[in-house]
Amino acid sequence: MTEKKGGFLKAVKEFIYGMAAHDSARFALKTRAQMEHLFILVTMGDLVGVPLLPPYYSLRLLPYVVPQIATWKRRMLREKDLTDALA
Amino acid sequence: MQAIFIILGALAVAVGGYRWYAGFIDRKVIQADPHRVTPAKMYMDGVDFMPTSKYVLFGYQFKSIAGAGPVVGAIIALQWGWLPAMLWLFLGVLFIGWVHDYVSGMVAMRSDGLSLGGLSYKLISPRARVILLSFIYFYLLLLAGAFGGVIAGALIKLTSGPVAMLVLALAGVLAGQMIYRWRTNILVTTVVCVALALIGIKLGEMLPTPSILGASVAANKFTWGLFAVIFCYISAILPIWRFALPLNYVAFYIVMFGLVGGIIGILVGLPPVQAPAFTQFTIGIGPLWPIFFVTIACGAISGWHSMVSTCGTCRQLEYETDAKPVLAGSMFVEMLLAVVALMTAAAAMPFSQYKEIMTKGGGAGPVFATGLSNFLNIIGLPLAYGKTMGTVIIIVLALTVMQLVLRFMKVATVELVGDRAPILRSGPVATFVAAALTLFLVQTGWWQYLWILFGGANQLLSSLALLVASAWLLSQGKKATFTLIPMWFMFITTIAALIYTSYNLLSKVLTGQVKAATGQTLLEATVGNGLMGLVALFLVVAAVILLKDGLQALGRYKEHGAAAAAEAK
Repeated sequence: MTEKKGGFLKAVKEFIYGMAAHDSARFALKTRAQMEHLFILVTMGDLVGVPLLPPYYSLRLLPYVVPQIATWKRRMLREKDLTDALA
Repeated sequence: MQAIFIILGALAVAVGGYRWYAGFIDRKVIQADPHRVTPAKMYMDGVDFMPTSKYVLFGYQFKSIAGAGPVVGAIIALQWGWLPAMLWLFLGVLFIGWVHDYVSGMVAMRSDGLSLGGLSYKLISPRARVILLSFIYFYLLLLAGAFGGVIAGALIKLTSGPVAMLVLALAGVLAGQMIYRWRTNILVTTVVCVALALIGIKLGEMLPTPSILGASVAANKFTWGLFAVIFCYISAILPIWRFALPLNYVAFYIVMFGLVGGIIGILVGLPPVQAPAFTQFTIGIGPLWPIFFVTIACGAISGWHSMVSTCGTCRQLEYETDAKPVLAGSMFVEMLLAVVALMTAAAAMPFSQYKEIMTKGGGAGPVFATGLSNFLNIIGLPLAYGKTMGTVIIIVLALTVMQLVLRFMKVATVELVGDRAPILRSGPVATFVAAALTLFLVQTGWWQYLWILFGGANQLLSSLALLVASAWLLSQGKKATFTLIPMWFMFITTIAALIYTSYNLLSKVLTGQVKAATGQTLLEATVGNGLMGLVALFLVVAAVILLKDGLQALGRYKEHGAAAAAEAK
């Protein structure tokens, strides 16, 4: 009996939530999704065929860059200090 | 005859129809399967497709479909007597209304959550989608005009309404600020803003508009048409969380207080029905058939519901078996709301008072406000306060839909003509165009004719949705008699109503017999009548073309079943 009463109260609560606030919650979720999808479009739009410049030129330049990648990585990630300025 | 018996009758129809007829169709024809994956589970993007509890969806669906339609339509239809109104509400919802809402939602759900436009493209023909979307644009324009007319009529006569509405609007803005910016606890926000709205109702009573604006401005239809349109324009332009959503949230509690209080008043006071059972076959706005059947839309059958079912609800159903309680159940409950609204006119006042308010007292809005205040008075609420609350309720019910319609028309204007007229790509400009068209309709049209045209377009949309549903059923090899018969009845009735009304309007224009309503010039009335008549004819032509394509599709499906569905693309 207690379970049935609890279930009925839960149903009433959900019904009132559905009438009063569900569309607000859906709107908030849609807004968040739109922001996220915009970010993904800007960064990975080439996955859906949008010709984004950075990935396109990266591919064009890749054959020329490959020989230098190891050196570049070493230099970017090496620890530096002031004395390097003397060199 | 006691009003309570009519309400009990409505309850019996709702329970019986839901349990037996809807249960039979759900189990034996559609064969809803709780184990079949719904689009909500399959796509689950957490935005459009999101499995949601059936109780939440029931509340969401009911709130989306129950606007001013079930209230205003039932009150206007009382002019023919309470018996035809009651019979159409009972029988309409039992054989047509729930079928339409439920089957259109199920068709969309079994078609991966396609919208009505997408379904017509897939099941009927490619051009069906274009025609349907154009139809929907003009239908929504008529809806905005009709609801705007109801609001303008109500605010002219219910002079406590405007200040109450302004305070409610401020309460809505405050609620938005508290929830989204200040992150205030939702319970505190609700209590503060609802209390503010209730105080606003009292303020409205204390500050009637003629004493603020002057009698000539306050009694002007243009003033209140402009008020309604500006209200909706601001709502459409501002971010939705800033105004529209929190306003609807706060207003929900006011509407619930009023309606629940009114129902308790009926149960406690046991008022007798004072209106006659039947007056006459033909009244001022037209004959019983076909005009009566388009006057009561929501509550019996409404095309708006198929748009809500297909675009929103069906994408959130967790199990197929939830469709019956959510889609069919909410339609039956809306019928109950329409019956309660009918009683505010039929049982809460003498019939002579009803007729006077309808002709000289502002129309259906003041009838509802006056009737509801009489019921609320039975449980102790002062008459003046109850009347202001009733005014706010009917205006909120109309404004909620008008706001949504203006938002849609903004998007539709940008999509449809933005390429040809770049200035219309701007949101504020596109909304201004939609708002101006709405105000034009409100100012130039007589509100009862606007209501009939809106009702006709609305019911015609429902017959087109039933046509799409029938096409799907036949393509699946299922029997479609239970959708085809209602489809034909609605199609023939609504086409007849639109042609009848269009003929009335255009013949008056061509023979120079147009009469200006109160607050209108003769030129406005003439232009308005002509425009309404032409829009009605456009809707008839669009519907006939759709029917032609639809019948061809039905013929294909009858012969070839599912294979013909691929051929339609």
